[in-house]
Amino acid sequence: MTNDLRQADTRFAQAGDTRTSAKVSRETISAATVAVLCVLLLVGARFVSPALGSWSQVETVLILGFFLVVLSFGQGLVILSGGLDLSLPGTITLGGILATGWVGTSDPAAWYLLPVVLAACGVVGLISALGIIWLRVPPFIMTMAMSIIVASALLGYTNGSPRGAAPYVAVALMKGHVLGMPVPVVVLICFVVLGWLFQSRSVFGRYVYAVGTNVEAARIAGVPVTFSRILPYVVSAMCAGFVGIALVGYSSGATLRMGDDYLLPSIAAVVIGGSSILGGRGTYLGSVGGAILLTTLGTIISALGFEFGLRTIIEGSIVLVALLLLREELFKKLWSIRR
Amino acid sequence: MDDLRRVGETTLIATVHDAASTAADQRIAALSATGLRKAYGATVALAQADITLNAGTVHALLGENGAGKSTLVRILTGAAVPDAGEIVLHGQRYAPRNLIQARAQGVATAFQELSLVPNLSVAQNLLLPTLPRGPIGLVSSRRAREAGAAILARHGMERIDPTAEVGLLPLAERQRIEIVRAIENAGRVLILDEPTASLAETEWLFERIRMVTAKGVAVLYISHRLAEVREICGEATVLRNGNSIASVSLEEATDEDIFEMMVGRRLDRTSRHRTSLAQTAGPTRLSVKGLGGHGLSDISFDLRPGEVLGLAALEGQGQRALFRMLAGIEKAERGETAIDGMAANLSSPRRALRIGSGVAYLPEERKTEGVLAGLSAATNVVLPIMSAAAFAAVITPQAELSAARPASGKVEMNARYLSFAIGDLSGGNQQKALVARTLATAAKTLLLHDPTRGVDVGTKQSIYAAIRSFAAEGGAVLFYSSELAEIVQLADRCLVLYGGRISQTFEGEAIAEQALVAAILGHAPSARARA
Repeated sequence: MTNDLRQADTRFAQAGDTRTSAKVSRETISAATVAVLCVLLLVGARFVSPALGSWSQVETVLILGFFLVVLSFGQGLVILSGGLDLSLPGTITLGGILATGWVGTSDPAAWYLLPVVLAACGVVGLISALGIIWLRVPPFIMTMAMSIIVASALLGYTNGSPRGAAPYVAVALMKGHVLGMPVPVVVLICFVVLGWLFQSRSVFGRYVYAVGTNVEAARIAGVPVTFSRILPYVVSAMCAGFVGIALVGYSSGATLRMGDDYLLPSIAAVVIGGSSILGGRGTYLGSVGGAILLTTLGTIISALGFEFGLRTIIEGSIVLVALLLLREELFKKLWSIRR
Repeated sequence: MDDLRRVGETTLIATVHDAASTAADQRIAALSATGLRKAYGATVALAQADITLNAGTVHALLGENGAGKSTLVRILTGAAVPDAGEIVLHGQRYAPRNLIQARAQGVATAFQELSLVPNLSVAQNLLLPTLPRGPIGLVSSRRAREAGAAILARHGMERIDPTAEVGLLPLAERQRIEIVRAIENAGRVLILDEPTASLAETEWLFERIRMVTAKGVAVLYISHRLAEVREICGEATVLRNGNSIASVSLEEATDEDIFEMMVGRRLDRTSRHRTSLAQTAGPTRLSVKGLGGHGLSDISFDLRPGEVLGLAALEGQGQRALFRMLAGIEKAERGETAIDGMAANLSSPRRALRIGSGVAYLPEERKTEGVLAGLSAATNVVLPIMSAAAFAAVITPQAELSAARPASGKVEMNARYLSFAIGDLSGGNQQKALVARTLATAAKTLLLHDPTRGVDVGTKQSIYAAIRSFAAEGGAVLFYSSELAEIVQLADRCLVLYGGRISQTFEGEAIAEQALVAAILGHAPSARARA
């Protein structure tokens, strides 16, 4: 198909060529597919159990999905830039433990200490990025090592049992209501809009797409490549820290393994959302869809009384199927059949 | 006893000599190809090529860059399948689908860009794809070592350790190993693609060639060095623009005849405006003094506003390094560069765009260094000026389109293509977009590495027009082209790069294709006189 296009291209360069780029992009298709799947799942769940699929169920999914939607922004940005962030468990725990240990229930301190907590997490991301870019350590090894180092340091710092309680701000973030809406849902919507703007409509976002597609070509095109490769890791670590704080607010305390269950789902959400695991392709709205889909599945599975193990098996299978379905050739084939 | 041995030797020599002379005299066609054609997309690499190699002789293949030499070699070695035409090898149809099949029929090639596996040993490389096995059927490294050592000894290379890792050997030794491996596999036809590119002397190689021709093997010898070709080859086939122009006896053809055949009839010089020196006198845009490193030494030249400076060279004479140093991708080891009279620290392409009036670079490899395939053509064009096109760091596709439109107009690129993903466009439109990118930066100096590589004729004209009008508006252009005709058509001045140095400079009307061919082949003084 592409060959025909190219030949036509040279032959009808100026005259009868009326092709447009209006064909729907790959990313849009996957984002839409994921959204449709979510709705189908929620509606379908009603038939299984009448308690599911109600408005309150949707609210629950959104609140539970909050963590994954935020994490998948950072993870998505890192993957887009051609990397991978396996340091999420460590950084989430760092955010949570610093929030309870440093800030605690002292209200005034929260306003200046919570940003410091986020900055501390950002430093973790910065170190990962510098190791990857300057020392040329492969991303997955560097970030995994950072996660282990941070988690071990926290184990030492807390002597094995984290103390302190959740800051009131964090509790309000997860449990408050504004205008009849749960605060996390409102924050989530704002976060998604800002994240979309950042990734798809900002100069920096374009740079990340460029370095993720081809670092050398991006450098030659005048893109500030080093900066564009560092910032995603910093952003991802700060997202993880934010999730750590939110998790503390949600469950009223920190644990040393609070981040462990979020690493694979964060990657899964990005991949299901249509991003290329090799970088350069994908949209944040797709990742949001992936995160919501995974959360929906999770709630349905636990509502049906399946075990946790089964849930992770299903998650793993979905990622595999998504990867298989999103292969370029399949899309090309579908398009050629349509014509 | 002594006598006996001497008699034996003489007989042996006589036999060998007989075999060689009969082979040559009877002119047994070892390989004969007719009407070969190969196109890659819209680009016809080989249009109509005929060549006949006689057993026991050395046949040269001559032609400019892009004449179709590599494509012909690829077809003969099975790396490419021709669209039309047929090949006969010792009376039988020969249509290899890959290198292994070609080798099985006795056709082996020593490639210019060596095909050795760097992390395997010398012996393993020589013996692949079948390594000798030990008693229990596993690959035996001892036997491989012995077999490798025997091969090396046969070719006078005992100094090389058969267990050494190939990647760690110097380039010249690697090239010798590549050649030895081809010779070992060449039962009927041996193809040598630029075999002397990294060899300092030819004695060893020519001795090897004489050895294989004595056995009746036909040799196809591809080299840009005419003196060398005359020394070892009897006949030559000249390729031009994908056509085999003629097969000639090298004893009868003069150098001038051959240049003429390589270049073709003189193109009718379209009357065109060449910037005269009077106009270009004044400040320099780009001034290079004693630049060196990455295989280059002592490169000095000035580039003035309104000037189009061509760079003519065979492949691999250092032009890539020169462009990359000036664009800020690689660090120069010696020398100074000034832009608009101010010393320039070219530390990155981003920096190069911002020093003085700016230097923009069009990379050599469109696919790997140029386009960002998944992004739209408009994004690709405006990437260097993204912050300027944005409003408060927010950029919309519409803003990108309107920022890209003026530049894309200059290269006559249809504006509708701007919203396509650039990877879906034809090669010609991708190249237009990349040229548009350099124009969009508003830099006053362009470094264009082969701006029309692999594009069709229409696109070429659009790019030429864009270069000319850029220069007419006071811009300065340094461009390299693998097509000399392009340099003749566009350049006000032309530097010839040979072996990492500027060997000659041509100006104005002296820029003629034949003179350039002689110059890039290293024929220095006489060529100059003729020009």
